[in-house]
Amino acid sequence: MNAQNPDIAAETPIVPEIDSTATTAMATETTMLNPRFYTTDFDEMDRVDVSSIRPEWDKLIAQMKSDPNKGHFKKNADWDKIDWAAMDPKLRVEFIDFLVSSCTAEFSGCVLYKEMKRRGNNPDICELFNYMARDEARHAGFINDALREAGVAVNLGFLTKAKKYTYFRPKFIYYATYLSEKIGYARYITIYRHLEANPDQRFHPIFKWFKEWCNDEFSHGEAFALLMRTDPKLTSSFANKLWIRFFLTAVYSTMFVRDHARPEFHKALGVDIEWYDQEVFRKTSTIARQVFPIEVDIDHPRWLPNLRRMRDAFGQMDAGKRKGGVAGWLGKMVGGAKAATAFVSLYTIPVIKREPPKNVRLEPIY
Amino acid sequence: MGLFSKIAEEVPCTVEVSHRFESLHAHVRFNNGAVVYPGDEVLVHGAPILAAYGELIVEDRQATITRASLLERLWTRATGDFGFMELCEFSFSEEVTL
Repeated sequence: MNAQNPDIAAETPIVPEIDSTATTAMATETTMLNPRFYTTDFDEMDRVDVSSIRPEWDKLIAQMKSDPNKGHFKKNADWDKIDWAAMDPKLRVEFIDFLVSSCTAEFSGCVLYKEMKRRGNNPDICELFNYMARDEARHAGFINDALREAGVAVNLGFLTKAKKYTYFRPKFIYYATYLSEKIGYARYITIYRHLEANPDQRFHPIFKWFKEWCNDEFSHGEAFALLMRTDPKLTSSFANKLWIRFFLTAVYSTMFVRDHARPEFHKALGVDIEWYDQEVFRKTSTIARQVFPIEVDIDHPRWLPNLRRMRDAFGQMDAGKRKGGVAGWLGKMVGGAKAATAFVSLYTIPVIKREPPKNVRLEPIY
Repeated sequence: MGLFSKIAEEVPCTVEVSHRFESLHAHVRFNNGAVVYPGDEVLVHGAPILAAYGELIVEDRQATITRASLLERLWTRATGDFGFMELCEFSFSEEVTL
């Protein structure tokens, strides 16, 4: 590692605390996000050997190197002017939450990928993470610009605060970021196709950029799929299959809860949240057959009822938190217990077994 | 490294903050090649670096790396995985009501 070679400077990127303070009379909210700093087992990453999947790997890297989206993230005549002052205040709050959260997620992705690039000594891995960090920083810059138009300034003055580094094992990074990238693709393309058919519901121009944007997410997911293929145990051992099942259930149910907490956003798009989420799960699960040996059964009779229970339980916990006092605390506890019960019920739904194909690579076709 | 004791290291670093349309990023590079391990804490000295929109700031600074004790390092390694949901992107914050 770099510690043994003082000639190479180790660069440590940092997740920002995005402090979006009002810069115009229109924007009044302040969004504070708690940054986290990650480290992983870089020696293990250095040992990753892509030779078993070399042809697919080289093809993907060549595609990333050619940077097909280089010219895409530019504002052109398609970027319609938005009258932010005229936007329904409730929609505005939810849409700003969408922009800030997305911007932070892109930035955090950039940080994580850059960290892996800088600390690694494996040229294949370093090259991959370099391109992915580039894409994420570009996406973050694009969203940040949309935020500026809305009168929300992103404050990057967080660097001079003390930051603690936490740790993820590489396999957790693979599972979580693979799913995150593929779900990101499914979410964006589903909205894009919906607005293509219903252009009158496109309340902001940023949605027009979603198609090429989500192709970046798709190819990042491909990279993690290939990485998982370099070590078959990651997707075939008994314990790891349980982990994958856990990840799928946790990520899907969190998405369901969070989307339902943003009714105005989805109403403005003319999207039924339950339909949308099931559609995203379906696309993600279909794509994930490329690497995961199991699939969550989203058509099982226990699936939607328990997701709804989970959503209500989170609502109850939030209400308890707001209420405070003994009654509030009790409400929070009861809500927490309900959420846990719903999760167990979801987790124990029998999974569908799949045989991942010999060739792992996929192309975005939705 | 002691079981409970922490050691602080002073490290020269280069800070890069890009607040531009084409790239929004921020990094700290330790100029002597120092490496951060699980549970360590990093503090960059001096005033906050505030890049205005369109600006790229590259500055040399001092940083303190407070090394985690052995116990803290082991604990961070053992429990860090539980925060995995932070690695996932959901488009929205976790706030139930805004």
